[in-house]
Amino acid sequence: MNKEKIELTVAVFFCQQLDPDQDGNRRVIEKELGPRIKFFPLPCSGRIEPLHFLRAFESGADLVFLITCPEKACRYQQGNVRAGKRIAYAQKLIEEIGLDPERLKLIMASPPLPKRIDLLTRDLLAEAPIKGHSLLGRL
Amino acid sequence: MITAERKPLDEIIAMISPYKKVLVAGCGSCVAECVAGGEKEVGLLASALRMDARMTTRELETREITLERQCVYEFIDQLTGLIDQYDAVLSLACGAGVQAVAEVFPNIPILPALNTSFLGQTKEAGLWLENCRGCGDCRLHLFADICPVTRCAKQIFNGPCGGSQEGQCEVNPDTPCAWDLIITRLEERGQLDLLEEVYAPADWSKKQGAGPRKIIREDQQN
Repeated sequence: MNKEKIELTVAVFFCQQLDPDQDGNRRVIEKELGPRIKFFPLPCSGRIEPLHFLRAFESGADLVFLITCPEKACRYQQGNVRAGKRIAYAQKLIEEIGLDPERLKLIMASPPLPKRIDLLTRDLLAEAPIKGHSLLGRL
Repeated sequence: MITAERKPLDEIIAMISPYKKVLVAGCGSCVAECVAGGEKEVGLLASALRMDARMTTRELETREITLERQCVYEFIDQLTGLIDQYDAVLSLACGAGVQAVAEVFPNIPILPALNTSFLGQTKEAGLWLENCRGCGDCRLHLFADICPVTRCAKQIFNGPCGGSQEGQCEVNPDTPCAWDLIITRLEERGQLDLLEEVYAPADWSKKQGAGPRKIIREDQQN
């Protein structure tokens, strides 16, 4: 993994339906990265609110991800669709205060399920565009 | 209910810029229903303002509170003892709420974070439609409970204008023709004869020209 990317503080919101063993799997990467990564399991990605993202940035996250189930695979039908709309709203908000909206990313997992959340996260961190710390993270 | 939308963040930031301690106050009634000024929106705005202040190295302390209503003294009174600790209040209420709070606490600036829009209904999740103009001369009973003054682009009492197409307004094709709706509903109710009448223009003197309106109910007064 790229050193610069590892040093970023990352918040990962994700739908628990993606990984039935998420509780154990995410601990693998939590142990590795320590306080630089925080996972927030959700019963469904549709539970997310824009305020959750803002609080994550305010707490010093440089990158925030929301990982949802694949298209048309939401257990509650519309959860990932709603999550997409809310992330778009939150992106506009953070842009208004001068944060790059690319720091907040929606990741729709590809089928089939289940996925391992630790492996999904590793892929994300490897592929994440290098942005450096957000100004909030530096202050 | 009264609908409103949040002002652009730049405008709000400019308004609060002279102040270091700001109480961000929401209203749990109409503006909460239209997702502009309720508890969640207070949290979002306060968080955004704090982040902006940190990024511009400006000093800002906020506290969040949401009153059930900002237009009624009994609820505004919850700010007593708290408001004095702040330089200003950023109010996420409608214009009536902002003014009501300012009247109770005249020495503290109450800054409006919302632009108050119209009287409307929640048509569906995330969609609010204007359906009352508060004209002071309600005639809904004559028009199958559909207001031609508000919902017809031409505001005509003796419609239809003849320009609608397939039930949509010719002025704004995204909007259903109010007169199409009126006639359809009157027909369903068997009340088409109401349209035999030629209706006089609205009495706008009840709305305009005499300054702010008031409603007095002595039976409700102390």
